Amino acid sequence: MSVDAPAETLTVALVGNPNTGKSTLFNGLSGIRQKTGNYPGVTVEKKHGSFMHKGQKVTLIDLPGTYSLAPRSPDEMVTVDVLLGRQSDEAKPNAVLVIVDASNLERNLYIVSQVKELGLPTVVALNMSDIATRKGITIDTKKLKKRLGLPIVVTQAHRRDGLDKLRDTIVSLADRPGKQSDSPFPPEFCEKVDELHAKLQQENAETPRYLAERLLLDTSGYLEKELIGGGESLHDWINEAREELSKAGQPVPAIEAISRYQWVQKSLEGIVTREKVAEGSFTDRLDKILTNRVGGAIFFILIMTLMFQAVFSEAIAGNLTALIEGAFNQLADGIDAELPDGALKSLINDGVIAGVGGVLTFLPQICILFFFIAILEDCGYLSRAAYLMDRLFSKVGLSGKSFIPLLSSFGCAIPGIMAARVIENRRDRLITILVAPLMSCSARMPVYVLLTSAFIPPTTYLGGWIGLQTLVMLSMYLVGIFAAVCVAFILRKTILPGETPPFVMELPSYKFPSISGVLMVMLEKGWSFVRRAGTLIFAMSIVIWALSYFPRDEIAATAPFAEEVLTIQNKLATADPEEATKLEARLGVIQHTIDGQLLRGSFLGRAGQVIEPVVRPLGWDWKIGSAAIASFPAREVIISTMGVLYNLGSEQTEESVELKEKLQNVKWPESERNVFNVPVALSIMVFFALCAQCAATLAVIKRETNSWHWPIFTFTYMTVLAYLGAMITYQVSAAFLLN
Amino acid sequence: MVSDIPLSMVRSGSIVRISQIVGGCDDVKRMAELGLQNGTEVEMVQSGSPCIVRVGQCKLCFRQSDILNILVNSEQF
Repeated sequence: MSVDAPAETLTVALVGNPNTGKSTLFNGLSGIRQKTGNYPGVTVEKKHGSFMHKGQKVTLIDLPGTYSLAPRSPDEMVTVDVLLGRQSDEAKPNAVLVIVDASNLERNLYIVSQVKELGLPTVVALNMSDIATRKGITIDTKKLKKRLGLPIVVTQAHRRDGLDKLRDTIVSLADRPGKQSDSPFPPEFCEKVDELHAKLQQENAETPRYLAERLLLDTSGYLEKELIGGGESLHDWINEAREELSKAGQPVPAIEAISRYQWVQKSLEGIVTREKVAEGSFTDRLDKILTNRVGGAIFFILIMTLMFQAVFSEAIAGNLTALIEGAFNQLADGIDAELPDGALKSLINDGVIAGVGGVLTFLPQICILFFFIAILEDCGYLSRAAYLMDRLFSKVGLSGKSFIPLLSSFGCAIPGIMAARVIENRRDRLITILVAPLMSCSARMPVYVLLTSAFIPPTTYLGGWIGLQTLVMLSMYLVGIFAAVCVAFILRKTILPGETPPFVMELPSYKFPSISGVLMVMLEKGWSFVRRAGTLIFAMSIVIWALSYFPRDEIAATAPFAEEVLTIQNKLATADPEEATKLEARLGVIQHTIDGQLLRGSFLGRAGQVIEPVVRPLGWDWKIGSAAIASFPAREVIISTMGVLYNLGSEQTEESVELKEKLQNVKWPESERNVFNVPVALSIMVFFALCAQCAATLAVIKRETNSWHWPIFTFTYMTVLAYLGAMITYQVSAAFLLN
Repeated sequence: MVSDIPLSMVRSGSIVRISQIVGGCDDVKRMAELGLQNGTEVEMVQSGSPCIVRVGQCKLCFRQSDILNILVNSEQF
C-alpha cells in the first residue's frame, strides 16, 4: 500500500474482547454500508462494512469478539486465518484495529500483545473512556502509546466521539510497514518457536511465525491436526520441546498467560491511576437488586412478561400483522382479477402468496422480539438473566449461556439456533440447538389462536383477571419448555454424555442502549427472516402447492355441478340484487365443494387418506392429517390447508370467523359426531407445540452442525414426541371430557 | 494457618487471592484469558452458585463444575 495508489481499497480487521462496544464502533465507522454472510463450513458470521475517508476506500472486517487469539476450534481458527491472510475468500488485512475497554485495560491488553505478534500495522481504539473516568480511572495515553509502540485513539463509540481521528489514523497507518515486535515470551521459548517455524516452513514457506507459536502452545491437539495433519516426527518433536520447556520452568500452555500478563503489567506500570470512588457504582447498586435471588427473579419475570405482552399485543404487533396481511390480500385480489383461472394463478395465489405471505405476517412479532432482546443485551441485562437462569439450567446439565438462544427461539428458532454460537462447549451447544425448536415460536401462535378461540370456552377466573383461553395458550408454551427440559436431560444422560460444563461469563457494566445499534440488529434479523421466506419457504410452498394441485381431474369434479352452475349464471343476468346475492352465495358453495373434491384427489389428499389410520389415535380425521403433512415447510401452513380441506377456499386467517365456525360444525362422515371438540383441538395444539414442522429450522440445524445427522435426528425425535404427546393429550382429555 | 478453599465457599464482600485453578489445560487457559489465574486478587461480590466476583474492574460470574474449580487462599485480607 502506498499513498500513490489511494484508489486501492484498504482492508482493516477489527478485533477485541466482547462487551467493549466493538459492534457499536463497527456501526459507527461504517454506517449502513454493511454486508453480512457466513464463512463456509463454520458458524462464524462474516461481517463487512466500508467507508470512504479522504479519498481512501476502507473495508472493515468485523471479527467475532474474543478474549484471545488462540484457536482451539474451526470457529476460532477463522479469526486467526483472516488476520493472517489465510482465509481463502478474504483479502489479507492491511491493518488491524484493536478495540480495548479503557476501564479494564489489564485484561484487554492480553489480546493486544497477541495482535502485536502478527506483524501487521495496528491501531488501538481506547474505548469507553467515559465509563473509566466514572470509575475513577485515569490513563496516561501518551505514555501508553510509547510503551505499546502503537498509535492509540481515544473513542467513545456510542457517542461517535473520536471516530474521525480513528479514520485518520487507520488511513495513515496503511503506509507504514508492519513491524515484528519483541516477543513477550522468554528467550528459551522463542528459540523453540523459531525452530518449529523453520520446520513448518520446509513444508510451506508461507507459514507465519505466529502459527508456529500457537502450535507449540495449543495442547488441545486441534492445531496439530489442522497444520501438520498427523506428522509423527513433528508431533514427537513438539512433545519433547514442551517437556524441555517445562523443565526450564516454562510450562506450556501456562507460559502464555504468565508471559503476556507480565508484559501487560510492565506496560501499565505507572500509567493507570485509580481514585477510590464513592462506594458502589451505579452498576453495583443495580446489581444488588437485579442479581438478587428474590428481587432478580421478580424483575426477570416482569421483564419477560412485558416483552411477550408487546410481542403478542394487538396494539402493536397485531396491527402491523394486519397491515401485511392486507397488502398480500390486495396483491392476491389484483392477481385474481388480472390472470385467467388456471394453474399459474393458483400457483401464485395459493402457492406463493399464501405460503410466503403467510410466513411474512410474523415479521412484526419477530422484529419486536428482537428489538427487546437487542435492548436487553445492549444495556447489559441479558448476561444477568443468563446468570439467574444458570441455576435452573445447570440442573439439566446446561449452563446459563443457553438462555439467550432459547429466549430468541420464542420468536423464531432460526436466529435462536444461530445465537447458540456463543456457547464454547460443543456438547452444550449441540443440546441447545436440538431443544431450541421446542420453544413455541411465533409460527405456532396462529394455530394456538385459531383453536383456542374456536373450542375453549371463554370462561374467566379471579374476577376476569385470568381467562381459560389464556391459560390454555400459556400451557402450550409450558408444554414446549417442559419437553425441552426433559429432552436436554435425557440427551445429556444418553447420547451426549459428559460433565456439566463450568460456567464463566462476563457481566458488563450497565449502559444506556444505543438506539441505532438496536434498530440495526432488529432490521438485520428481520431482513434475514424475509430473505429466508423469499428462498426456502418460497420453494417449499411451491412443492406443497403442486402436491395439493396435481393430479387434477377438473372435468370429473365439475361435471356433477355443471348444469346447476349454468342455470344460476343464466338466472344471474336477470335477477334482482337480493336474489343475485343468494345465487352468488350458492355459486360460492359449489366452488368450494369442487375445490374440496379436487384436493381430495390430489397427491396430498391421497396421502392424507392413507395415513388416516395413523392419526386416528390422535382423534384426527384425514384432513387434519394431511394438513399436518402439508405444514412440513412451515407450521402456519396448516391453517390455509385446513381452510381448503374443509371446503372453504384457502384465504383463511386465524381471525376468520368462518373457518372457526366451520371447524366447529365439521362432522365425521355418515354421523352426527363433530370432528372437532376440545380434546381434538388440544391434541392438534400439543402436536404443533412439539413437532418439527419447519424446513427452515432443519436447514439451519444442518448448517450449524455441519451434518445431516442432526436435522434428521431433530425431526425424528420431535415428530415422535409430538405424536405421543398429542395421543396422550387426546386419550386422556377424551376420557375426562367426553364421557 | 493458610489453606486453600474453593471459591464457592468465600463469603460476599471478602477479597481473596487465587492459589490454584484445578482443571484441564484448556479450561485453565480460558480462565487465564478472562483474567482469572494464580495470584489474581478477586472480590466476592455475591456468593452462591453461580457466584459473582470482581476481577480488576470487571465482574464475572462463575459456577464451578466437576472438571473445573478455583481454589483461593483462605487468609482474607
